[in-house]
Order: sequence, then C-alpha cells, then structure tokens
Amino acid sequence: MKTKNRISNFFKYLILIVLSVISIFPFYFMIVGMTNKTIDINTGKLTFGGNLMTNLHSLFGSELDFPRALLNSAIIAIAVTLLSLALSSLAGYGFEIYRTKTTENVFNILLLSMMVPFAALMIPLYRMFSKLSNTPFQVVGINTFYAVIIPTMTTAFLIFFFRQNVKSFPIDLIEAARLDGLNEFRIFTRIYVPASKNTYSAAAIITFMSAWNNYLWPLVVLQSPDKRTIPLVLSAMGASYTPDYGMMMCGIVISTLPIAILFFFMQKNFVQGMLGSVKG
Amino acid sequence: MKVWVKRALLGISAVALAAILGACGNSKSTSSSGTSSKKDDSLLVWCWDETYNTKAVKDAIKVYKKENGDQKVKVVTMSQDDIVQKLNTGLSSGSTKGLPNIVLIEDYRIQSYLKSYPDAFADLTSISKKSKFSAYKSAVNQVSGKTYGVPFDSGVAAMFYRTDYLEQAGYKASDLQNITWEKYIEIGKKVKEKTGHTMLSQDPSDLGTLRIMMQSAGSWYTKSDGKTVNLENNKVLKQAITVYKDMMDSGIVTKVSGWDAGVAAVQKGTVASAPTGAWYSSTIQGAKDQSGKWAIAPIPRLGANSKSVNASSIGGAGWYVLKGVGNVSGAKDFLSKTFASSADLMNDLAKDIGAVSTLKTAKQGSNYKAEYPFYSNQKVFEDLLSWSNEVPEVNYGLSTYQIEDVMKDPVQSILKGESIDSALKQAQSQAETAVQ
Amino acid sequence: MKAKTKKTRLEKSGWGFVTPSVILITLTVFIPMIQALITSFQSGTPANMHFVGFQNYVTMFHDATFRSAAFNTLLYLVVQVPIMIFLALIISSLLNDHRLKFRGLFRTAIFLPCITSLVSYSLLMKSIFSPDGIMNKMLLSIHLINVPIQWLTDPVWAKVLIIISITWRWTGYNMIFFLSGLQNIDDSIYEAAEMDGASKIQSFFKVTIPMLKPIILFTTITSTIGTLQLFDEVNNITKGGPGNATTTLSQYIYNLSYKYTPNFGYAAAVSFVIVIAIVILSFLQMRLGREKQ
Repeated sequence: MKTKNRISNFFKYLILIVLSVISIFPFYFMIVGMTNKTIDINTGKLTFGGNLMTNLHSLFGSELDFPRALLNSAIIAIAVTLLSLALSSLAGYGFEIYRTKTTENVFNILLLSMMVPFAALMIPLYRMFSKLSNTPFQVVGINTFYAVIIPTMTTAFLIFFFRQNVKSFPIDLIEAARLDGLNEFRIFTRIYVPASKNTYSAAAIITFMSAWNNYLWPLVVLQSPDKRTIPLVLSAMGASYTPDYGMMMCGIVISTLPIAILFFFMQKNFVQGMLGSVKG
Repeated sequence: MKVWVKRALLGISAVALAAILGACGNSKSTSSSGTSSKKDDSLLVWCWDETYNTKAVKDAIKVYKKENGDQKVKVVTMSQDDIVQKLNTGLSSGSTKGLPNIVLIEDYRIQSYLKSYPDAFADLTSISKKSKFSAYKSAVNQVSGKTYGVPFDSGVAAMFYRTDYLEQAGYKASDLQNITWEKYIEIGKKVKEKTGHTMLSQDPSDLGTLRIMMQSAGSWYTKSDGKTVNLENNKVLKQAITVYKDMMDSGIVTKVSGWDAGVAAVQKGTVASAPTGAWYSSTIQGAKDQSGKWAIAPIPRLGANSKSVNASSIGGAGWYVLKGVGNVSGAKDFLSKTFASSADLMNDLAKDIGAVSTLKTAKQGSNYKAEYPFYSNQKVFEDLLSWSNEVPEVNYGLSTYQIEDVMKDPVQSILKGESIDSALKQAQSQAETAVQ
Repeated sequence: MKAKTKKTRLEKSGWGFVTPSVILITLTVFIPMIQALITSFQSGTPANMHFVGFQNYVTMFHDATFRSAAFNTLLYLVVQVPIMIFLALIISSLLNDHRLKFRGLFRTAIFLPCITSLVSYSLLMKSIFSPDGIMNKMLLSIHLINVPIQWLTDPVWAKVLIIISITWRWTGYNMIFFLSGLQNIDDSIYEAAEMDGASKIQSFFKVTIPMLKPIILFTTITSTIGTLQLFDEVNNITKGGPGNATTTLSQYIYNLSYKYTPNFGYAAAVSFVIVIAIVILSFLQMRLGREKQ
C-alpha cells in the first residue's frame, strides 16, 4: 500500500513538473531573448548571450518612448481596474440582493453583451466618440484616456462574477445591519466590501490583465504617440522590415512582470475569490 | 508582514490615483494643445518601420529645414496594419481628428483608399510629375488623370543570391543574367545536388512570387480597370502558376511560415537565393558574417510568355496628403521639396537605409555609383535603379489582398495536383463573390 | 402596507446599485450593436453605403472564405474546448492536495501562460514549431516521426498547432476555476468513495466531475464564447494560413473591415452570425447542464 502510494506520488510530481516546465518555458525563452541578438533569437538559441545592455539601451533609447508607454499603460489599467471593480461589484450586488422580475430580465439582457465580437462594435463606437469632438464633452472624446477607459470599465462578465459571489454571502448579515438602521449603501460598503476581499482580488487580477494587454480599442482611439500603451509600442516595434527582437524581448519581459508579480502575491486570495463565483 | 503589505498597497493605490488625476488633467491640456497645434501649421507624418521609412522622413526633414527652418514636422512610427486600421476607422467615420497630414501607403492598397474615400486625399498633380519617376509607379497613384501621391521607395524585384553556393554548383555571375524561371529551377536543382542547400524559401500563404511573375508580363489579378476579376482566362497567371508549381515540386524550396522564418532561412545560410524586392537588401545585410558572399541579378522572367521582361516589382509605397487635416499647402510644399524632387535626399537614403529611389534623377548621386563590398563590389544601386525603369506598368486595382486571400486555397490544391483550369474557374467565381 | 413600502424602497435602492453599469453597457455595447445590425443590411464603400436588405446574409452562403472560416472556428470549438476543460480538470485535481509540496509554485507556473504577451508567445510558438525547431528535433530523436512535420505550412498540422497553442495558453486559466470549486468538496466524500473501494480514477469520474458540474458549465460557456471570437492566436501565429486553413470568423471580420477595401456592411453581417451562434450554443449548453442535474 505504501509503495503504491509512493509510486502514484512520484507520477503526480512528475506530471506537475513536466506541465510546469512546459508552461514556464516561454518565460525562459523571453528572458534568454533579452540577452541575445535578433539573429540568435530567430535561430532559436536557448542559452544566455551578452547583448543585454545593448538591448536595454536600444529599448529605452527608442523613438517609441517605452517608459512613457509603461506609464500610460499603468494609468489606464489601474483606472480601469478600480472603476471596474467599483461599478461591477455594485451592480452584481444589486442584481442579487434586490432581485425582482424586472432586474432579472435586465440582467439576462446584459449577459447578451458578452456575446458580441468586439470587431463588430469598433466602428460604431469610434463614431460615437468622434462625434463628441466638437462638443463640450470633447474632454472624453477621441485621443483621451477616458475614451479608452469608458467602454472597458464595465463588463457583463464581471457583473456576473460578482453576482455569483454575492450568492454565497450570508444574507443574515445584511438583514441584521438593516435592523441596526444602516442604509443600503452603507451596508454594501461596511458589511459586504470588507468581507469580500478575495472576490475583489480575483476580479482585480482578471481586469488588470485584460486592461494591460488590451490592444484593438486603444489602437483605434489613441492617436498621438505620447498616449500609446505598451501593446501598441510593441506592435510598432515588431512591424519593421528588420525587427529588433532582442530589444522587444526586454520590453516584453518588463511589461509582463507587473502581472506575474501581482498574481504571485495575490494567488491565495485569487483562488479563494474564484471560489464564490463558481458556487452554483 | 500583512500590515506591511496592506500599507504598501494603500500607498501604491494612492500614488496611482494621484497619477491618474494628474494624467487626466494632463490629457486635457495636451488635447487642447493638440487642437491648437493644428492651427500652428505643424505637420504630422505617419509611416511604418522605425529603421527604414521613419529614418527616411527624418532625413527629409533635415533637407527641408535647411530652407524652411520654421516649419515643424513630426513623424510617428506605427505598424502598417495599425496605420491601415486607423485610416479606415478615421476616414469612414468622417472624423479626421488625430489623423496625420502626410501618410505612407503601400502601392497595393492605395487605389482602394482613393476609391473608398474619394474626397479624403489632396490632389498632388502639381508637385508629382509623372515623367520624373519610374513609369510603373504612376500607374498606382492616379485616379481619372489626377495624381494623388508622391512615389517613394521602389519595390523593384531582384534575385539576391549566394555567390559561394552558386560557384560550388558551377555557375558564374554571367550565367544568371536575364534568365527565365525555368532556367532558375534548373540551376536550383544543380545547387541542391552540389551543395545540399535549397534555392529559395517560400511561404505557401504569401503569393508574392506569383505577383512578381505576373507583373513582369504586365498582368494582374484584375483587368486594367482595377475592378474586373481576371483569373479564369488570365494566360499570364496560368503560365506563372505552372512555373510556380514546377518550382515547388522540384525540391528546391524550403517551406516557411511568416516573414521571420524567411529571414532566418537567409541568415542561417539555408537558402542560396531570394527573389524578392529591393528593400530586402537591408535584411540580408543583417547577416554581417556573409559579407562578400552575396550578389544581385535581374529577376527571372516567364519563359512561356514573350511579353515577360526581367524586371518586376513587389511592395513599395508612396506618400499621400490627407485633405481634411489642414495645412495641405504646407504638406505639399514639404513633399515637393523632398521626396518629389531632391536627388540629394535620395542619395542619402541609399546610404542610410538602402532605399532604391523611384526618382529618375537619383542615379546621379554618388551612392548610386558606388561599389558595395557586401555584394562583392557590385554597383547594386545603379543596377536596381536601371531595372526599376523597366518594370511594366500595372494597375493594382481595388482588391489585391482580397483576391489573393481567395487565391490561396486554389493554389494549394493546384500544388496537390488539381488542374489549373478548374481551380482558377472556381477561384474566379469566388473572387467575384468576394469583391462584388 | 408597511411591508409593501419597504419593498418598493428596497427596489429603488436596487436600481441605484445597478443603473450606472446598465447605462454604461447600453451606451458602449447595445447602441453600437444596433448600429452594427443596421449596417449589416447595407453595402458599398464607407462613403457610399446603401441598403441591400438581406443580400449580405445571402452572399455568405456562396462565399468560400466565409465557409472555411466558419468550418475552422467550429472545428476549434469542438476539438479544443473539451480537451482543454478535461486537462484543466485533471491538473486541478492533482493540485488539490494539501500534502502536495510547492503547490503555490506549480499553480503559478501553470497559470503563467495566460498572462504572456501575445507577441512573445507567437514568436515562441513559431520558433518551437518551425521545421527545424525543438519540437521536431524531439519527435525525431525518439523516432516518433521520420521526417520533420511542417507544423506551420501543412493545412492539417497548422490547425493542430493552433489548437495546441490555445490549449497551452488557456488551460491554466480554467484550472483556477476548477481549483476553487474543488475546495468546496469535502474530503469526507472522497474518503467515503475510497471506503467503497473506488480507485482514484473512479472517484475522479464519479465524484469530482459531478460535483464540479456548475463550474464545468460556466467554463464551457466562457470558453465557447472565447473560441467563437478567436482572433489573436491565429492572426499572430499563422496569419490564417496556409491558404485559409486556419483562418477564423473574427479574423475574416477584421480582414473585411481593414485588410481589404472596407466592406463594413458585410463585416457586420458576419459578426451577427457569430452572435447568433453564441446565443444558440450557450442556450443549448445551459439546457444540457440543467437536464442532467
């Protein structure tokens, strides 16, 4: 019995190690790529080279202003994440706690919005924002960060996610708070929010990740070069007749780090937070 | 520990919030300065490739500034796909806000823009004289007699080859002048036999080689009106596909996927030649260890077609001015004093980025007469420019890329053995559906 | 009477919670969606659009590129989603063991692929699966194959490569959902199953899968939506080639709008085909999920 266990344990670790290696390999490739020349990356070299400083130098010296793009991406991703968490958790909570037939129908219609491919919405959406150009609302029009943030700051997916979590929230707590005379909004901020840290961290990771990597919409709506985000700058770098992959790998590693770190430190909460969302 | 993390997170979010507020305030001020910058008549240029086109614009700015020191010109690099997408989104929604004064557009695409957005581009007839440029370039940038673009780099096709591999197979430079594709395949087989290297790499999804073959006989996927799909009864296309299939079947081709893999095939020394556009030169020179081992010969012609010549084109682009953005006269003035006339600028560009000009007077420049050690001391620019003037004129029409996407599957099935006639018949009806 | 006023008061505050999101989603999704629907009945160049009724939808039936794009998209859906869900299930049940060492590390490692930037990921895939890449070298050395596989240029293998790539990128993401769900299952249930003489594999099928059904349903629906809108992977790794062997509907929409002479009407029509497909499939999946419960 014990040896059998040992064998099955061995296989368990073996499988997990193999899978982890497969998953991590690309990161190794990226990090090695940082230190190599383009030609070595093209030919699939897998050992470290001595080109790191040159690559970093060309990255930060590039006309495309990589540091500026980092800052832009951070501003947009953090703003989207904060706003998105606030709005979507409010809505998810509202749909569950104050459920009526009407809100239920509204919710189901909202879910439909998940199903439309973004490519189809882009042109009408762009038209909408460009119409703001010569109105007092032009501060949120084309070529502003607001125009990037507004269409991405609520998604039906996230509302759904929060709602699922609220389902497993003990309703007694809310009732008790009502008896204590707290108003509904206070109940949300004082009772629900503090108790749902895990849900918020899971949602934060998902939202930050997609905002950080968002490409199509920022591409269309941001015009001036000083507003470009990381994916746009990387795409411009790659679109050369002779792309400098060593330099690009540096950019990629630097831009992937924030999410990797975020996940590593928040993973416990993340897994726990997902938990609520998947309870029937 | 936990308290520490909490505080850190609080701190970070506070800073972030401050940054957001700051940035949003900022974006207001820049956007207002953005609108006022339109009033101060500065020019904005969009192009792709930081190492090539962007450098060209910067050289142009230097030339222009000598006389017009006050004019501000700014250049922004984007990927070509991104430019295409932004232009389409912007022009189709009728908003020119944020669009550039001057934009680089690929020859294959420009007709489609000029027809889709007829009022968007400025008439450049007065500054872009047809007679000053290689004739084939003017076929792409005109609509009903008006010229809308200033031709830029030549996509003149050339056969880049490894002198060392070909010597091993028993071929000298003189054996490679003005050959047919049939001869090219024969040479390729010999090279494969003697050296083990394949003759060229091909991406099955990229029909650029077919385009080169067609243009060498003055033909295209569409008839000269640029609209009528011309596949089923296109003799030149059939001859081209026949040769193409022979080439793919002969074992002299390394199949690759994507641009990078093609570059790798050259840089690793896998292939003995690369029949492609002149702009490939800078890529080949990226393999510095291969200096002195390369040379350039004219592109092969179609042996089966008497009209086919040893000159063709692939890629290449031109400069266009957007009307709605403002300061059209400034943009025209900039182009007319730089890309539309300056032989000195073209001479600089030959050296700085290896661009072959389409301006006929460029051949006077010292860099066009120079010998290049990388290419075994060949006067490559002189050769390329002279071939450039031989390229047959073709109207690329509105739908090059769309028809080519339709063509990809039939070409695959032809390679697998389907008859050319039946495959093209099918392609014809599919393409007609697609471009309707 | 009092209860009723309390109820309406609550309903009112309920609307206070949901209204901001409802307005935003209406403005940024539903209104553009209606505009796109109208566009789908139009044709012509952007400057010169005119109504053509259902012509765009009729054209699709004769359009070979549309057919191959639709076929590929469905193929990815039918093959890739089940493989990925099953893999994610297995990995999560392996990881769901308190005695397991380095759990956090394994978890992070397997989750990492979905945060990789698309650029590096596509570069890497192309390099690993090139004819003389690591994958072929490995397969050759263990004599599984005799000639290198043309992963990127053979129509069949290219599809396989796309499926491998999506699976690699998204399995870890789905695994996290299952991992969370597994924490809900009490260990005593497994112990009881073991007492009844069930093997590990049996209890995986008899306990784990039934208990996780709501989550499996959830991940299946989100993966279905993701696959039907698949664009990034294909556009970056194979560009839809060789020929149109790997192209997808979303890529076709993109090409119709931006790569070719823009035909926004037809592009909008194709995108509504995707919307309809997603609605039908999600509905079917939910039905199936409910019936078995």
